Amino acid sequence: MSISTLFENYSEFRHRHPDGDVPHNPYKWAMAIDLDACSGCNACSVACYAENNLPVVGKEKFAHGQAMHWMRIERYWDQDGREFPDRGARYLPMLCQQCEAAPCETVCPVGATNHTPDGLNSQIYNRCIGSRYCSSNCPYKVRYFNWYDYPTTDNVWPAEMNMQLNPDVTVRSKGVMEKCTFCIQRIRGAEIDAKTQGRLVRDDGELQTACQQACPTSAISFGNLVDPESKVHKQWRAQQVDLDKHEQVKDEEEGGTDLRGYRIYEFLAPYPSIMYLERVRESEI
Amino acid sequence: MLKSDFDRRDFLKVLGWGGTAVALTGCGNGMVESGKETVVSYVETSDYMIPSISVYFNSTCAQCDAGCSITGRIREGRVLKLEGNPESAINRGKTCGLGQAGVQNHYNPDRIRAPLLRTGDSGEAITWEKAYALIDEKLKGVSGNEVAFLTGGMSGHLKVLLGNYMDSIGSKNHFAYEAIGPAVVRAANKKSYGVEMPRFNISKARVVLSFGADFLGAWVSPVNFSQQYAQFRKGAGGHQRGVLVQVESKMTITGANADRWLVVRPGTEGILALGIINALGAHGVKMSGDIAAAVKGYDKDRVSKDTGVSGEQIEKIVVLLKERTPSLVLAGSAAEGYAHGSQNAAAINLLNQVLGNVGKTVEAAAVVPFPQMAPATGNTAALKALNDGLSAGKYKVLFSYGANPVFTSPAAMKFKDNMAKAGFKVVFAQYLDETALQADLVLPLDSALEDWGTQVPEYMAEGAQINIQQPLMEKLHADTRGMGNILLALVKQRRAAEYKPFDDYYGYLRAAVLQNKAALGGAHQADNDIFWNETLSKGIIKLDGAQHASLSVKSGAAGLSLPEPSAIDAQYPLQLIPSVNASLRDGRNTNQPWLQESPDPLTTIVWDSWVEIHPKKAAELGIVEGDIVEVSSKSGSLKVQAYIFPGIHPDAISIPLGRGHEAMGRYAKGYGVNPFQILDMVYDKETGELALHETRVKISKTGERVIVVKDEGPVGGNQEGQKIVPLMATDKANLSKEI
Repeated sequence: MSISTLFENYSEFRHRHPDGDVPHNPYKWAMAIDLDACSGCNACSVACYAENNLPVVGKEKFAHGQAMHWMRIERYWDQDGREFPDRGARYLPMLCQQCEAAPCETVCPVGATNHTPDGLNSQIYNRCIGSRYCSSNCPYKVRYFNWYDYPTTDNVWPAEMNMQLNPDVTVRSKGVMEKCTFCIQRIRGAEIDAKTQGRLVRDDGELQTACQQACPTSAISFGNLVDPESKVHKQWRAQQVDLDKHEQVKDEEEGGTDLRGYRIYEFLAPYPSIMYLERVRESEI
Repeated sequence: MLKSDFDRRDFLKVLGWGGTAVALTGCGNGMVESGKETVVSYVETSDYMIPSISVYFNSTCAQCDAGCSITGRIREGRVLKLEGNPESAINRGKTCGLGQAGVQNHYNPDRIRAPLLRTGDSGEAITWEKAYALIDEKLKGVSGNEVAFLTGGMSGHLKVLLGNYMDSIGSKNHFAYEAIGPAVVRAANKKSYGVEMPRFNISKARVVLSFGADFLGAWVSPVNFSQQYAQFRKGAGGHQRGVLVQVESKMTITGANADRWLVVRPGTEGILALGIINALGAHGVKMSGDIAAAVKGYDKDRVSKDTGVSGEQIEKIVVLLKERTPSLVLAGSAAEGYAHGSQNAAAINLLNQVLGNVGKTVEAAAVVPFPQMAPATGNTAALKALNDGLSAGKYKVLFSYGANPVFTSPAAMKFKDNMAKAGFKVVFAQYLDETALQADLVLPLDSALEDWGTQVPEYMAEGAQINIQQPLMEKLHADTRGMGNILLALVKQRRAAEYKPFDDYYGYLRAAVLQNKAALGGAHQADNDIFWNETLSKGIIKLDGAQHASLSVKSGAAGLSLPEPSAIDAQYPLQLIPSVNASLRDGRNTNQPWLQESPDPLTTIVWDSWVEIHPKKAAELGIVEGDIVEVSSKSGSLKVQAYIFPGIHPDAISIPLGRGHEAMGRYAKGYGVNPFQILDMVYDKETGELALHETRVKISKTGERVIVVKDEGPVGGNQEGQKIVPLMATDKANLSKEI
């Protein structure tokens, strides 16, 4: 395919997500995270290490900013000059937002990161050449680069510890970028099971991401956004957050609304697939 | 039919069902078999094991004592991941980060692989036969009084076997020790409510007022409480969202989630509780005369002056507690860690009584009707008693299991030196930790994912349950043993006849469960094999008909006297708060690298210790982040990096427990400092428990400085004006209508 053919027939090759010509059919995986329920306990993050073969990099590499936590808890303080944080802290589980118009995808020189028909921002490890453009372009800083060959690094997976590695997930080697996949191994497993049984994936816990399954306060819901019966779909609808808008109608109301749903950096128009629900604080105390 | 040369009552005691009123199937139809079965290796294919297909087995998490039920995912004969078992009322399918790391305890490269006998300064690998013979030999000519057995908290059939073993050697010296267990609160609860550990219905409360109870982090049963907390926030029974007020001197993860976090002068939690009762009285809340008399002097001005909490804030709390009922008041670790810890806890519990919460949000828990199996909860008073005995040269043989006292006791206690006075020290351990290094004989244990067991959780969520622990895969190392098997072998040295029918601990457990089948919900099932397999497959025995303990509310006002807040010591002006992190706790899990690399929720620091200092105090002392400071108490000193932290009282500093190992393994050794070492030996006056928060310290800069390794970025917790985590006030939000 020559460049000229590509440009001439661009519409055939380029599908505009999320409002484009090919709607997500039958799946669009999405999340809703309730920050009022989230306690910041880190269970999700450790569960992610367990599920997705994330290397423990150790103190020195962590200091260099080379931690590989696909899911991390960010902790913020109120900035109002009070002596004590007497409204507590604010916690945010941050992971790949699986953007529909992902800034990371357009800059990849080799097309290693791209969009799947079921709405995931995928990473193809054996296509990645390690330019790291995607990471610089990610507004959420949720892409993690393998600066080292962790499987052969001392004390990352020494004998016996390597037996825990999940055989459904690739162990990444030096020089490739990686990030949260929404537990694609679980998604594909459930999709294939459902397909062989001639049905769609159910919204009854048949498919859970590792972080969602562990979360002690059930703050994370995950499911098929195009299934009107799914909890995620209902949550997004009730909060009036539309996937394909970068400014929600409800936010135009003066003084805002009493709806808690929002997406981080929505105005940049990456159309993230994760809706957060605002943290709440009692006014009477 | 069992041919027995001992009577039925003894037999019940052997199997753990002794001393109960529960009907057992009558002797005569109780078929007991030795039940020897072998876990098959993967090369012998089983019909349920298909390459690339996962199978799931239920067991019980052993990372802490909360007793969450887990489901292990097993593929090609290896356990890969642990999930919560949805059938358990305790964790309902959920797990915490600590629980997730259970696989790293199992696959840990630093596990001990053979029995080790000390010869001089080195250890020599020996056989188990030799090890058992050695124990037998060392116990010869030693009276029961001269043998001590130290354990962590324990329950179930392991506790039964231990009890029977101790009985067989004529010793009553079982010391159950937990370095950070809520021992003072248990004693105060017993006095206030008649039970040590009632059920706390957080989900039914509309206001939770917690005095340093870190129930979302490391307190009692955090996964259960976290789920209840989520329901509480959504609004119980169609009510508006529940309100959490946390009172403490150092912010915990629970404090970080509070609607109002109230910093209180260390040790004045009880005074604030009495002040709130006093103010409730002024608002017309009815209370008995003795309570009113007890709180009479605690007017708002005085309480405000003593605690540092403003009168206005007390007023707001009182209005909230009065208007939104039921509420729930919790006394936690931060309130109990003082010389007057019992009094603090009693004053806080009194608040529950005044508010009428007892019987509503504080309820009696269901009780497993087999006292032999009930959890032996530990405390530091037990360690002190053991230490005194060792110091006096009372014990010739010392056993230690599930505890690491050399690491977790204050250096001033000199436990290590006193331990050396015992002639023969046996430590059962998975790692060569600080205590194992002092042993004469170290016996390597199976991991919790390789071993059999039963467990009775201390905190019962709903009905009574006995948790089943079963191997999730073949043993990794040929020469490790389960603690049950070891105790069985030891008790057989003494009482061969009684334990002869049981080839191993598995056979013992199976016989025990089948013996009491009817009481364990198996009355309908005639076939023993089917019942046993059902039990293993569920991983939980639910005792639906179990009785609930009854609460007996006594007025806690009698004998209540709280000391004035202590004056600032000129030489040691700061109060040291040794904080408990949800993952590392007392340090037993530190060699699990996921936990080392999991950032602390408050500071986001990894792989190291730190001292938290309030910005105001830091400015006064000229300390900035990363300065290495020397923290000295009367009992010792340590050097640690400083972290400037707003969530702490300016007259207090805090260092997390769990790090600072000098042994144990590659992921634990050499990372951070151990604040247990510099604790002063101050004890709670009533219970004799070590008062963890009573150590006074001074800090000075050493001139060195490091870059603090943490997850937060250079701007710390600042959102820089972006809408990353916005806050909404409750008068706008309506969570009850949400999906």
